[in-house]
Amino acid sequence: MQVVQADIVVVGGGGAGLRAAIAAAERAPKLKVALVSKVVPMRSHTVAAEGGAAGVTRGEDSLEHHFNDTVSGGDWLCDQDAVDYFVAHCTEELVRLENWGCPWSRKPDGHVNTRFFGGMSVQRTWFAADRSGFHMLHTLFQTSLRYPSIRRYDEFFCAELVVEDGQVRGVLAIEVASGEVFLFETGSVVLATGGAGRVFRQNTNAGTVTGDGMGLAFRAGAPLRDMEFVQWHPTCLPGSGILMTEACRGEGAILVNKDGYRYLQDYGLGPVDPWPRVKAMELGPRDRLSQAFWHEDRKGRTIRTPQGPAVHLDLRHLGAKKIHERLPLITEAAKTFAGVDAVKEPIPVCPAVHYTMGGVYTNLRCATPLGGLFAAGECASVGIHGANRLGSNSLVEIVVFGKAAGESAADHARSSHSKGADLRKRAEQAERSLAALLDNPAGERLAVLRDEMRDSMEAGVGIYRDDAGLRATCAKLAALRERYRRGVKLDDRSRAFNSEWLSALELGFMLEVAEAMAHGALARRESRGAHMRLDFAGRDDARFLQHALAHHGGAGAPRIEHRPVNITRSPPKARHYGGEGKQAVLS
Amino acid sequence: MRKIEIQCLRYHPVTDAAPRWQTYEVPFTDNMSVLQGLQHVKDHLDGSLTFRWSCRMAICGSCGVMVNGEPRLSCETFLRDLFPGPVRVEALNHFPIVRDLVIEQSDFLRKLESVKPYLIREEVPSGKTFLQTPRQMEDYYQYSKCINCLLCYAACPQYGLNDKFTGPAALALLHRYNADSRDAGKAERMELVNAEDGVWGCTLVGYCSEVCPKEVDPARAINQNKINSTKDYFLRFFKK
Amino acid sequence: MKTYTRPMGAWWTRNPYYLWYMLREASCVFITVYALILLVGLFRLSQGKAPYERWLEGLASPLSLLFHALALVLVLYHSWTWFKVMPKTLPFVRIGAWRVPDRAIVVTGVCAAVACTVLIVVLAATT
Repeated sequence: MQVVQADIVVVGGGGAGLRAAIAAAERAPKLKVALVSKVVPMRSHTVAAEGGAAGVTRGEDSLEHHFNDTVSGGDWLCDQDAVDYFVAHCTEELVRLENWGCPWSRKPDGHVNTRFFGGMSVQRTWFAADRSGFHMLHTLFQTSLRYPSIRRYDEFFCAELVVEDGQVRGVLAIEVASGEVFLFETGSVVLATGGAGRVFRQNTNAGTVTGDGMGLAFRAGAPLRDMEFVQWHPTCLPGSGILMTEACRGEGAILVNKDGYRYLQDYGLGPVDPWPRVKAMELGPRDRLSQAFWHEDRKGRTIRTPQGPAVHLDLRHLGAKKIHERLPLITEAAKTFAGVDAVKEPIPVCPAVHYTMGGVYTNLRCATPLGGLFAAGECASVGIHGANRLGSNSLVEIVVFGKAAGESAADHARSSHSKGADLRKRAEQAERSLAALLDNPAGERLAVLRDEMRDSMEAGVGIYRDDAGLRATCAKLAALRERYRRGVKLDDRSRAFNSEWLSALELGFMLEVAEAMAHGALARRESRGAHMRLDFAGRDDARFLQHALAHHGGAGAPRIEHRPVNITRSPPKARHYGGEGKQAVLS
Repeated sequence: MRKIEIQCLRYHPVTDAAPRWQTYEVPFTDNMSVLQGLQHVKDHLDGSLTFRWSCRMAICGSCGVMVNGEPRLSCETFLRDLFPGPVRVEALNHFPIVRDLVIEQSDFLRKLESVKPYLIREEVPSGKTFLQTPRQMEDYYQYSKCINCLLCYAACPQYGLNDKFTGPAALALLHRYNADSRDAGKAERMELVNAEDGVWGCTLVGYCSEVCPKEVDPARAINQNKINSTKDYFLRFFKK
Repeated sequence: MKTYTRPMGAWWTRNPYYLWYMLREASCVFITVYALILLVGLFRLSQGKAPYERWLEGLASPLSLLFHALALVLVLYHSWTWFKVMPKTLPFVRIGAWRVPDRAIVVTGVCAAVACTVLIVVLAATT
């Protein structure tokens, strides 16, 4: 077995992982940083993010505004000390990205432009056309090439965290090309592996978004927090789930049902005029918009498409010039994948799973309860998104907390000197069980288990949930885990670049993460943010102004416990969107 | 449901001496891409078929393959356009095959690194953004859209004949930084530009820009720099 | 890890784009030969009237006519590809703030070439 010694191992080469690696390299240039990713970094899902990254810049804006928008957007489930830290560091990180070459879109005078986004009271979303994530990721990746202390291990699949006495000791990873198992010996690990949206059938996510890091931490004993909060992005192409960025609405696009009616006015987001208006109608938060769709569909007012029900996202009134200048990627995508010319026709859209608010529980400095284990980005729950994430808070989250995680990991690596017992035995044992997956003589096909999981999650843990549906999904997931344990039969028994084998490992992670989501949802008997219960309408601050922590239950179901939210200065209020207001001047 | 025949060039590094074709019959609907066809094969017919993919929306650059002899992204190539088929899919040309449709991409990654693809400046900025007008951004922006999908390398016969050629995407990225008003690293990158295997390895076949799914136009990035390279060559005599 | 490298072989036959490219490159051979013939003619002119007349007669032979017909077609093709590729060798051309699109550059080039050709033909016919 090959052994690599590194002072810090960063798992995941997306925005958060790259930022963490750079931060660690800058904090302590003598430390060896291993950046281990199952895909080459520019393939990471950060690349698909479109809309933008939030940072206070305008004179009429303030950290307090950003704080309030975020806390109310999260339906008061946010840890307010984390939000304070977050909003205070957004702008400096975006400036740093610009200094590193990120091509933020500009105003005619050469300053960076900002636009409105859902749930934001002032324009503070920095954007690079509608390819913000793409440009951020490529800027981070190309900048990371300047640091000789960062050594990349591309296409290495992390399969297990080695933890002893509550301390991280190493990571076991499969070199994809050869199928060989590598042991990375290290005392500091940063998980930056992204979300878990692929547990649902219809989602905007890439094939890689399978909750690996959440699964790794969960199995190692770190709790997952607030997993029941899953964001449906309201405007995605039906069937494929391909994202139509919120920036469309930030530029003034509207949503209409089959009667051409702007239905959002019926759901507390109106009145319709004047348009555009901050935090009203189509500029409301994502959870409200997705929930409105669900109701419209129930009432039979959605449009039937071959790929399922949809509503229309209408950009036509923006004009060809603005559409091509500000929204070139989605124009291309609408043409290629839906055959629609956004300049001349409305785009059919529906909600699809997009973001996982929950994740590996960390404190402000990105530390999990396990010694030496840190997490940042979508795979972590640092407490800023609460029950619903505002658009453009995630792209900036990855750099703010990527940096914090990298620095925390560097400090930990410098201060801890303990060398654990020989890990090789444990590593060899793990290798044997990984290899055993290849040799099952009988069993079910991967795709069968995977599709059953996704259908069950879609049905029971959807936009609206109830007790019966949640229990059914919990039972189904337990049964699927049992069937998985009994054996999956792979067609591909070889080691060299065996992507079927890796998909089987991903399915293992997904089943456990899905269970945490379903059980968390069952335990939360209220409706808050993105978690809506038909049987418990309305927020219950008395009993559920609490985070949900899921602890791994071994072969059985996870155990859910609740812990208070850190409320510092913004007590829970009713969440208000829509209402009166003046017409906003979009950027 | 209609069916279409997909032929894949298979290769296993341990068991195969040379690649061989394998045929699959795939049921398809009008909106299915070649990628979805391959996924159907892997899920239901033959789990050993190996290919790269990720975002499904032509932004990550993972899924480049040859479809009927042309470099394409499998996620945005549609089976309805290739009907009645057969559809011949093989790994991107001009790269060694690792397995089935997966190529060895480390040569490109080395070249990407070699062009110094980051802003090179003397002063460290003071917590503010640089000013850059939309017009200044226009000078380099299209070259920054490259998703590193490697279709241009599969298109470029010069790269196929000589893998020391730096190649379209890497040279386009080099130009992207040279043309960025915030960058001051032109001199540092000049040696790479001037090399035999730099811009002079290009004979303007132009197929790279044809196949680029993001309209980066690497042919332009390279050939503009032939003028710069020539100027640099002659001016050098005056500098001495 | 062992990988498999596919041979290039007769790569230019595998894609129509490459065939057209090779035709463009091959046209240079014809253009070179044409230029050499002209040089020879110039040389014969310097030698005197009789050598020059003999060279002119040679031009009228069937082989020469065939060659020149082919060369003309290929020169026209070569010129067309030259103009098509011209924008790729230039930095962005701007008039004020407006970036001149590539198509306009190609069209301008072709029109200029056509105009020059017409002018030369007219001059040649009238003098």
